[in-house]
Amino acid sequence: MKKIISLLLVAGIAFVSGCGKSDSSNSGSTTPDGGKKITVALMPKSKGNAYFISCKKGADKAAKELGVDLVFDGPTDPDPAKQNEIVENWITLGVDAIAVACENREGISTALRKAKAKGIKVITYDADALPDAREFFVNQATPEGIGFTLMDEAARLCGNEGEFAIITASLTAGNMIEWQKHIEARRADKYPNMKMIALRPCDDLKDKAQSETTALLSANANLKCIMAICSPGVPGAAEAVKQAGKTGKVKVLGLGLPNENRRYVHDGVTDSVILWNTEDLGYLAVFAADSLAKGTLKTGDKTIKVGSMGEYQIEGDSILLGKPFIFNKANIDQFDF
Amino acid sequence: MKRHFRELSVAAALLVVLLGLAIVAPAFFQPQPLLSLLTREAPTLVVACGMALVIISRQIDISVGSQFAVCSVCGGLLAAKGWPLPLVFLSSVLFGAIMGAVNGWLVAGLRLPSIVVTLATMVTWREALRWQRQGEFVNLPDGLQWVGLSQIAGQWTLILAALALLVLLALATKHLSAGRFVYAVGTDAEAARLAGIRPQLTIFFVFVFMGALVGLAAMMNVVQSPQVDPKSGSGLELKVIAAAVVGGVAVSGGRGKLWGVFVGLLLLACISPALTHLHIEAYWEKAIQGAIILLAVVADGLRTRKQRN
Repeated sequence: MKKIISLLLVAGIAFVSGCGKSDSSNSGSTTPDGGKKITVALMPKSKGNAYFISCKKGADKAAKELGVDLVFDGPTDPDPAKQNEIVENWITLGVDAIAVACENREGISTALRKAKAKGIKVITYDADALPDAREFFVNQATPEGIGFTLMDEAARLCGNEGEFAIITASLTAGNMIEWQKHIEARRADKYPNMKMIALRPCDDLKDKAQSETTALLSANANLKCIMAICSPGVPGAAEAVKQAGKTGKVKVLGLGLPNENRRYVHDGVTDSVILWNTEDLGYLAVFAADSLAKGTLKTGDKTIKVGSMGEYQIEGDSILLGKPFIFNKANIDQFDF
Repeated sequence: MKRHFRELSVAAALLVVLLGLAIVAPAFFQPQPLLSLLTREAPTLVVACGMALVIISRQIDISVGSQFAVCSVCGGLLAAKGWPLPLVFLSSVLFGAIMGAVNGWLVAGLRLPSIVVTLATMVTWREALRWQRQGEFVNLPDGLQWVGLSQIAGQWTLILAALALLVLLALATKHLSAGRFVYAVGTDAEAARLAGIRPQLTIFFVFVFMGALVGLAAMMNVVQSPQVDPKSGSGLELKVIAAAVVGGVAVSGGRGKLWGVFVGLLLLACISPALTHLHIEAYWEKAIQGAIILLAVVADGLRTRKQRN
């Protein structure tokens, strides 16, 4: 019996420690004209995640245009400790700039400060570190941008008047409360004939979102639109609308991922899925890291010129990606994440 | 009548809630949403039946939500690979039974407390799944939803299947010796052993059966939508334990009826849609559910005290 238990333990340890293998490529190669080629290291929260693979697509494009060496590495599963380890490796390798999507705000900051002290330029994207551990944060979406876009899109789908309900993850989630504030501000300001009649939590579960929406639909005969502001909520709400036979009569929109909603968007159940353009996010992150390494971007700048994409605003130390992106029937098949 | 007093009082409470709704919010009784609500609860009922047996045998299994998620994702992936549906159902039941056997072996074989064992397996299965799927949905092939039937036929099939299982299990616990073993072990394991029952073996199989039921329930849930949420089943353990306790299953083991669990589940499942219909803020939902559970436990406590005196 003891033997079996110890075997299981060993297997468990092997399983856990085998989770993250990194495959950093070399850096420090030189350009044909002899100048040192810039190496930008880009870290996702986790490598296999389709969201970050989509970011990498944009990053690759930027690297190609700029002629920089791009190192893309991260933990196999979201693991703050492993992120630190990889940053340490990059310090040893001597990369020029690091761009990180941080799994743990505090956890990564020590390693990033160390990189900064070694003269490596550090930025964060997607999820920030502590402000003193990096120079800039590439902010994919402000709460205001998200709230306003959601409300604008809901009003457009309803013809600027009617009742709508919101499905949230939980009544206490800080970011969602912040978004709701901006949704309400926009509604009061621009769409006084739109009426928010209910707010229901779905515990970040698709199944619960479906049950909640079913109840909302039967309790409110005049409901014109369901807005889900957590990603499992969008397909959950869509399934409920479909099962109730109200496809097209009740509009569905929300914050979510294209792959989870593709089927419903094609079937005409879900009208708009709102997120940011992940490829642009990767592109901007690499571009900003490169500009920082070359010295063309400095603290205090108000804008950054980004190759093929024009000019981006900088607010304090946040580089803003701009307005969220709307996935709909016309464009959703161009994205796979 | 007196033997069923506990269950009947829960049924009375459910009736009061339904009557109140009929007066204040008759829209609650529209056929389509009601059918949807019952269909959503069909898999939960299957898991709740298993949980009732686990609690009656004086154990607990809080890993059922994680088992549910693992079975859902594995079943979904097999279905996406083109496996025929009956085989997918069978595999899911098998996966569940294996996970149940792990719990059973640790609890009955090594005599570890079930709360600790299933806490560990709950976290292990859930995190393994998170590591493997990274939260990504499994998209199912077309035609899998409602096992290929129309929506209404599919919904009725699932509801009737869950009810049939409930009736079968209720009869089995009453008339089969295996069913009576479970009650005997939960009442007094030592007395059961002296009477020739093997308590540890009984407990092992209760856990295996629990897992198998979870596997079945997971597939009953998977066929309700075109994709699988790898987080599905989060909080399921609380829901089914609550249903069992409200339905009159004694946490101290040895007592409880499956039809009571059914009524308890219905009562708890009504709360959330009822609040939506009454336009009461969602803040109250968990508080009301908690109050119902508390009431049930206090009622049980008072009753045992009275019996002792």
